[in-house]
Amino acid sequence: MYQPGDHEAEKASNSYLMSLIAVMGGLPFPIINLLATLIFYLGNRNAPFFVRWHCTQALLSQVSLLFMNSIGFWWTVSIIFGSETLNNAYIGYIITAFTFNLIEFVATIYTAVATRKGKHVKWWFYGDITDMICKL
Amino acid sequence: MNKIIVQGILIVGSFFATWFVLKNIDWMGIFKIENATKKTEEKLGDLFWEMINKSEHEIKKVDITAPIDSLLRKICTENGIDKSTVKLHVVKSDDVNAFALPNKHLVLYTGLVASAENEAALSGVMGHELAHIELNHVMKKLIKEVGLSVLISMTTGNGAGSEGIQKAASMLSSSAYDRKLEKEADIKAVDYLVKANIDPGPFADFLYTISDKQPDFVKHLTWISTHPDSKDRAAYIIEYSREKDVNAEPVLSPGSWDKLKDALRNYE
Repeated sequence: MYQPGDHEAEKASNSYLMSLIAVMGGLPFPIINLLATLIFYLGNRNAPFFVRWHCTQALLSQVSLLFMNSIGFWWTVSIIFGSETLNNAYIGYIITAFTFNLIEFVATIYTAVATRKGKHVKWWFYGDITDMICKL
Repeated sequence: MNKIIVQGILIVGSFFATWFVLKNIDWMGIFKIENATKKTEEKLGDLFWEMINKSEHEIKKVDITAPIDSLLRKICTENGIDKSTVKLHVVKSDDVNAFALPNKHLVLYTGLVASAENEAALSGVMGHELAHIELNHVMKKLIKEVGLSVLISMTTGNGAGSEGIQKAASMLSSSAYDRKLEKEADIKAVDYLVKANIDPGPFADFLYTISDKQPDFVKHLTWISTHPDSKDRAAYIIEYSREKDVNAEPVLSPGSWDKLKDALRNYE
């Protein structure tokens, strides 16, 4: 079984940390998290397989979150500044989006810690897509 | 590949299933949001009116307030608006101005009443301000210009002092909403007038005529100067009302409008 070096493990872990750090600066703008992860991915296109693989997985999860969070963001803006009103559907959506973000957040922290130790963590759904994209 | 598609569908499906379940819960009731919003708006409206009332003189004389109130009552009744919730204030001032405050305060300056040629023109202006109230433009504008946290601190007495309240009240009385909201209010006003069997034409004429007034009059024309493109507004009001069937009939009894104007001229 391939065991990544310490340097690779650190970089792979950083790809997940990118989205975590960007959450602080990026709230409430959903695109910031994606941009941070994308920039890190682009910067590691020629990195070893382990690093590339985890950068890709991190990026893919951010892309899916972007759709969900962007809808939440613009819905909020239209309530505050536009003609939409606060209602149960909106609150339900925000709670749902928050829950999914929280699940992703927890998964990201776990994966960041695990990859730092050199462990290969493959996410359900995202891992399989990453396998398709990332070839040795 | 099939496995990925199924997993993707399951993730998306679980998102929508979660949302579907959650949106059927009465969060608005649980968090008492409508109650809290209403209370905040009530407090703000009363605060702002209190501030304005300190520096302006509200007319209570029945021969002035009653006919204006009748016009407002007609618009409200025919449009299913509870008139008892609308607080009309007629303020003595040469300014041609009218504006809405939170909690359904409608402020009308005597300068504007004096400038209106007929009851239909005045009804149009009141319809416009009533539309801002009913379409919740007032709170939206406040939140946008002043900020939600500042507004809440005003109502709790923390943070924003009387200067902040005065500034916010002054902003509401002297600046227009954005063009989209102004157009919405104009169109809604026409709808109100049509339902009340009041001709919207004089409202459009009022906008047109006042915007053509001499420059030395402009300083009093707050309602016009803060509502840009009055001629454009008059044009789309006329265009919109062309499609409407209006069975125009007077609201006030014959002579009441002239009596109102006399009462205003003679008011001291």
